Amino acid sequence: MKNPPDLLPGTLDLLVLRTLARGTLHGYGIAQRVKESSGDVLQVGESSLYPALQRLLLDGYVKAEWGASENNRRARYYTLTAAGHRHLAAERKEFERMVGAIRLVLANA
Amino acid sequence: MRFLRRLAQWMRLRSHGRDLAEELAFHREAIERDLVARGHAPAEARDMARRAMGNETMAREDARGIWLWPRLEALWQDAKVTLRGLRRNPAFTVGVMLTFALGVGANAAMFSLLDRMMLRPPALMRDPASVHRVYLFRHIDGVEGETGGQYARHADLVNGTTSFSALAAHATRQLAVGVGTDAREMRIGVVSASFFDFFDAPPAAGRYFGAAEDAPPAGAPVAVLSHAMWQARFGGRQDAIGARLQIGAVVYTVIGVAPKEFVGLWPLRPPAAFIPVSTYAASLIGATWATTYSSAFGLGTIVRRKPGVSIAVATADLARAFVQSYRAQSAAGGRAIELAELRPRALAGSILLERGPGRSDVAKVATWLGGVSLIVLLIACANVASLLLARALSKRREIAVRLALGVSRSRLLSQILTESMVLALAGSVVGIVLAIWLSSLLQAAFLPGTQPVSVASDGRTLAFIGIVTLAVGAVTGLFPVLQARRLTLTEDLKSGARTGTYHRSRTRSALLVLQGALSLVLLVGAGLFVRSLRHVRDVRLGFDADSVLTVDTHMRETKLDSAQTAALRLRLLDAATTVPGIEHATLVVAEPFGGMSSWPIWVAGVDSVSKFGRFEFNSVSPDYFATMGTHLLRGRGIKSGDVHGAPRVMVVGASMAGVLWPGADPLGKCVRVGLVDTVPCTYVVGVAEDIHARGFGPQDRSFYYYLAAAQFRPQLGGLFVRAGGGARRFIEPLRRRLQQEMPGASYVTVSRLGELVENESRSWVMGATLFTAFGVLALILAAVGLYSVIAYNVAQRRQELAVRVALGAAASDLIRLVVGEGLRLASVGAAVGGVIALIVSPRVAPLLFNQSPRDPVVFGTVTGALLAVAIGASMLPAIRSAHVDPNSALRAE
Repeated sequence: MKNPPDLLPGTLDLLVLRTLARGTLHGYGIAQRVKESSGDVLQVGESSLYPALQRLLLDGYVKAEWGASENNRRARYYTLTAAGHRHLAAERKEFERMVGAIRLVLANA
Repeated sequence: MRFLRRLAQWMRLRSHGRDLAEELAFHREAIERDLVARGHAPAEARDMARRAMGNETMAREDARGIWLWPRLEALWQDAKVTLRGLRRNPAFTVGVMLTFALGVGANAAMFSLLDRMMLRPPALMRDPASVHRVYLFRHIDGVEGETGGQYARHADLVNGTTSFSALAAHATRQLAVGVGTDAREMRIGVVSASFFDFFDAPPAAGRYFGAAEDAPPAGAPVAVLSHAMWQARFGGRQDAIGARLQIGAVVYTVIGVAPKEFVGLWPLRPPAAFIPVSTYAASLIGATWATTYSSAFGLGTIVRRKPGVSIAVATADLARAFVQSYRAQSAAGGRAIELAELRPRALAGSILLERGPGRSDVAKVATWLGGVSLIVLLIACANVASLLLARALSKRREIAVRLALGVSRSRLLSQILTESMVLALAGSVVGIVLAIWLSSLLQAAFLPGTQPVSVASDGRTLAFIGIVTLAVGAVTGLFPVLQARRLTLTEDLKSGARTGTYHRSRTRSALLVLQGALSLVLLVGAGLFVRSLRHVRDVRLGFDADSVLTVDTHMRETKLDSAQTAALRLRLLDAATTVPGIEHATLVVAEPFGGMSSWPIWVAGVDSVSKFGRFEFNSVSPDYFATMGTHLLRGRGIKSGDVHGAPRVMVVGASMAGVLWPGADPLGKCVRVGLVDTVPCTYVVGVAEDIHARGFGPQDRSFYYYLAAAQFRPQLGGLFVRAGGGARRFIEPLRRRLQQEMPGASYVTVSRLGELVENESRSWVMGATLFTAFGVLALILAAVGLYSVIAYNVAQRRQELAVRVALGAAASDLIRLVVGEGLRLASVGAAVGGVIALIVSPRVAPLLFNQSPRDPVVFGTVTGALLAVAIGASMLPAIRSAHVDPNSALRAE
């Protein structure tokens, strides 16, 4: 099985924030959503997902609440905070700039 | 914000971990469920989910780690692991802790002593680095000595120099404070108004005196109280300001109180009050106080260099002013002063007396002992390092396993360091307790009569302990760390410690040799000082200092004429002998080891007696020789018939008789005692043994003679009293009985003559006791070190020894083998230490007494002791090795 490609540093946070921008999700849900929306290219392992979530909690970009899952298991749900929305916008802009820059290099260098 | 969230999270660390575990479990189950939904069998799905998840614990720890102060957490974990390990091994832990405690405690106590004597600048002094004490020297009879002490001299320095932004005069005097029955002798600071400007010390109440109150003609009768005195006498009340207080001969008005920490230049014996130098000098000397050079009262000068003025420039400036001062003195006195003979010299030296040119032998010995205590610490560290090293060696396999499991090396090293740090910390805590006790002993012994300071409340000593703790923790941890860095993973995993070969650790052997060498050096020092002290004790002083009490009278404002004073002294003499237990009493003017008195003498046939040296005398009553226990060698002593009007008589010391009338009978010879050679004869009636009047050395034996008190100044001086057995017990009864005879506000003080002698011998007592204590401590530590290494080696060599037994080695062979190893190490240590001691010991020679610094007896004895202890320390494990059961030892392989 081919390993999922390495993410650019910081992009995991961006992906998680973007995923949560559409609504509240639990950890597994986030991983699934990222996988699906990337056409199965990006797989977020729990060994990086949960530390990332904790980091976002610590920074105050998301908040977490325990709730019942689809099949009534206790699960922790994450919601984007106002600060998280702002951070997502900023990060996104930064990412576009970065990707644009990389494209320019690929096209012209 | 982050901080608060982190803190809140940290508070519920445990539930946080549980939450994460649950969350991850949910994640795994979700994967599993998806797999089942896609048609995998439940068991298979569980395995796949588990594989997909990877290391769940690590994920949890990583996620949890986000919230932690990572380094702090690691440290805490290391400490926890260490503590667990140490609890499992209490003998090792207690041993190491005690070793550290002894090392740290001894050092803290020594530091506290040295700090108070010669490191700490005076409290509250502003910029102490620019402040100096002025030291003045001049030659008399070709010998340089310190001089100064007059106000006029101080004034000349103030007026004759340009290098200083401030100068101040200072002295301390024992003066009676108060009147009537509550009068007590206290130490009083006699200072100029400028003195207070040297300090950052705004008064706690009232104000300090100003220049106008400290100026000719007489100064103002105003006083500043110390904070302690304010509390003790006035209960800290504001109405102390304006109160009237008699100090010495003058009634002063209290105008201010110094702040609590203010001790002037005298932290060891802080003055109770401060009075203007003008006021005091005028009351002591009279109208000429400011201009006379003939009345010195111990007045010193402190100076503050102007910015940019070097010490050398300041010294040169002072020297110029000092010479100029002698010229002024010469002009004023009309008596020519030979500058070429005096060769005056001035110096801007340390503000601390014990670091100045006149530092005491006690301070010098204390400095050496400071070094010695560091050596003891070094030995303690070597010991602990060796023990930790042994532990690290025995944990090789464990460490290798942990490395294989992926513990990072830096984490491993930090864990080893944590262990030594925890041990050092625990040791230091015990060490502080030890230091409190030790330093109170040291202070009582070597700073007698000073304000005691507890180590626990002294920030500087505690800071020192902190630094020492970190240093010993780091140093002792270093060895096992170096060891761990050398680990070869696969080798150690394969073999571990359970192999037939044994590696003698070269580092541990080197540490042992070092310990042995250092112990030997300390023991040599101990031997040299113990023998010095014995020589000092063996010196026949020519009197029994221990049985004699001295009585001094203090007249205060009570004015008696000469006849009245002479009569009072006789009354005191009579009263003294009525006290039960008092055997003899005599009048004296001089105290051996205290003050000297000399007067010109003239002898027919000798053109100038001063070419022989200094002649000192005492003026005594008939019981003198019985009181002092000084032996009369020929003729008679002073008798009750030797009164005013009878022929003048004297008793001379043996050496004095020898130089003045070599080969002739001194009895009946005429000596003229007086300023001119035409005064009537005083006839020699007896010869007494020589006495040491100034010190223990042969050079301190002065030419001494005795006059009859009834014939020579009967009004001067005090009393000596001989008490049978335990003179100390008689101090108070004697004082009380004599006080009844004293008129008005005058009073007597009684002290021991032995005290003066003890002051002189203190440096040897200090050297002998502390060198011995440290030396023995070092030896014990070294012995423990040797024992533990030999025991460890024996344990490592079990198989080899068993093979030897199996092949027919006798128990005695094994013992010889093991003891031989210990002895070899000790011998190398002794040899190295011997060479170091031979090189270093001549440097302590000036502090020894009649003792060669390379005394073969000392070196021999000490080496013998070291080797004997080495044999003893290795004998125990050796005997154990002899009982190796070859069967079980070999089968264990």
